[in-house]
Amino acid sequence: MRVHVVEDDAGVSDSLALILRNLGHEVISYSDAESLFRAGMPEPADAVIVDLSLPGIPGAQLVRWLLGLAAPPRVVVITGQSQGFIDHQLRGLKPSWLVRKPLDVEAITRALPVG
Amino acid sequence: MKDFSASPEPHGAPTVSEARLLSVLDTAADGIIVIDERARILIFNKACEQMFGIRAAEAVGQNVKIVMPIEYAADHDEYVGSYIRTGVKKIIGIGREVRGRHADGTVFPLELSVGEAATPDGRQFIGILRDLRPRKESEQRLADLQSELVHLARVSAIDEMGAAIAHELNQPLTALMLYLQAIRRAHSRGIDIVTVAGDILDKAAGEAERAGHIIQRMRQFVEKRDPERHVRQLDPLIDEAIDLTLLGQRHRIRIDRQQAPRLPPVSVDPVQVQQIVVNLVRNAIEAAAGTGDPAIVIRTREHEGSVILEVEDNGPGIAPEALAKLFEAFASSKRRGMGLGLAISRTIAQNHGGDLLVDPGGHGRGACFSLVLPAVTASSEIG
Repeated sequence: MRVHVVEDDAGVSDSLALILRNLGHEVISYSDAESLFRAGMPEPADAVIVDLSLPGIPGAQLVRWLLGLAAPPRVVVITGQSQGFIDHQLRGLKPSWLVRKPLDVEAITRALPVG
Repeated sequence: MKDFSASPEPHGAPTVSEARLLSVLDTAADGIIVIDERARILIFNKACEQMFGIRAAEAVGQNVKIVMPIEYAADHDEYVGSYIRTGVKKIIGIGREVRGRHADGTVFPLELSVGEAATPDGRQFIGILRDLRPRKESEQRLADLQSELVHLARVSAIDEMGAAIAHELNQPLTALMLYLQAIRRAHSRGIDIVTVAGDILDKAAGEAERAGHIIQRMRQFVEKRDPERHVRQLDPLIDEAIDLTLLGQRHRIRIDRQQAPRLPPVSVDPVQVQQIVVNLVRNAIEAAAGTGDPAIVIRTREHEGSVILEVEDNGPGIAPEALAKLFEAFASSKRRGMGLGLAISRTIAQNHGGDLLVDPGGHGRGACFSLVLPAVTASSEIG
């Protein structure tokens, strides 16, 4: 599966890319929502991993845009924020999966089943 | 040197008016000692008997040295003699803190003011003494209380920051876990990882270090300790404090950081000063958050022997009715948390010989807080 990772933290982004490739995925990394928009629209078969706390356009807004596409990709939200913050940000949005940090490989495989 | 105590008694029995004077002096709460110009005790009131553990009957006629610690006593005759010769006043009419000695050997602080009277029998010196121990104790209690308050405010700040810190720690922990799991997976599948393992382990170690730094910064901030003074440049302290404040900060905000070149250093408790900066920056961020384009300016400059930090927001300013109570503890209009912040920040600034000032702004201007700290000059830096 092609996985787009939108995460501004360099360490998290790098390690996530490593493990995803390790799991057999193709990985494209972005440090913010703006660079994903510039790169073009994800395919319906893709997955997009979005960190909720992004510089610039907020993660929740990216999630809203992705889910509003005619053929939305699989959207996985990752966040280290409190439940209150998450609820507030994601009002009415239903991402395919939500994983709270710290992440581990099991959580990622559950969110992105291979095949 | 003459032995004063052996000189002949200049007085006869007390007269009626003298007796009345003595009884009045005995009602005084302060110790009163009258000596002649040879430092011989003429009057030693009841309060003094208590203070020094010597009865008046024993004290009168003796040199006043008997109530002084040895190191003062040795020089006292010379002080009196020097004043009588030169007329230069070292203590008369001034008053100062000195130490007294109780008969049991206890040395204690006392406040001494000395007056002079010309009498038919020659010059006399009237000393009024106040035991400073109770005052010292209450000063100590006050200092303890203040340090407790500073600690409390810091703990309350950390409480609010708790969620932000959890978020911040999550980043390196996530990266660390994923790096290690990547290696573990490759290893268990027999994939050749020799070429990349070192690189990945370095990154993992780097992430663990990053988590450690976050903890360290928080620990420095929250732990209670005695105030310190270090000669430091203010700007690096400010930058560190700004980083701390922005940890997990949810508001998006422009920060314009302006530094004056070649600022003189300041003598500060770095952690306490950073606490003020954190407080000011947090307040500024909150004040600006409601505007369409939140921005704050954090500026350092030098002005008339002081180093000044200014934190200015582009919020609505401070309402006149709030201004009066701004620096009072618990006066904050905020729902929780930093009600103590500004009160304590100002106290800390003043303990550093500086101050915390505010320009309330309003009418389209945001508020601007100024932390003023005395600059350390080359001469004051020595010692």
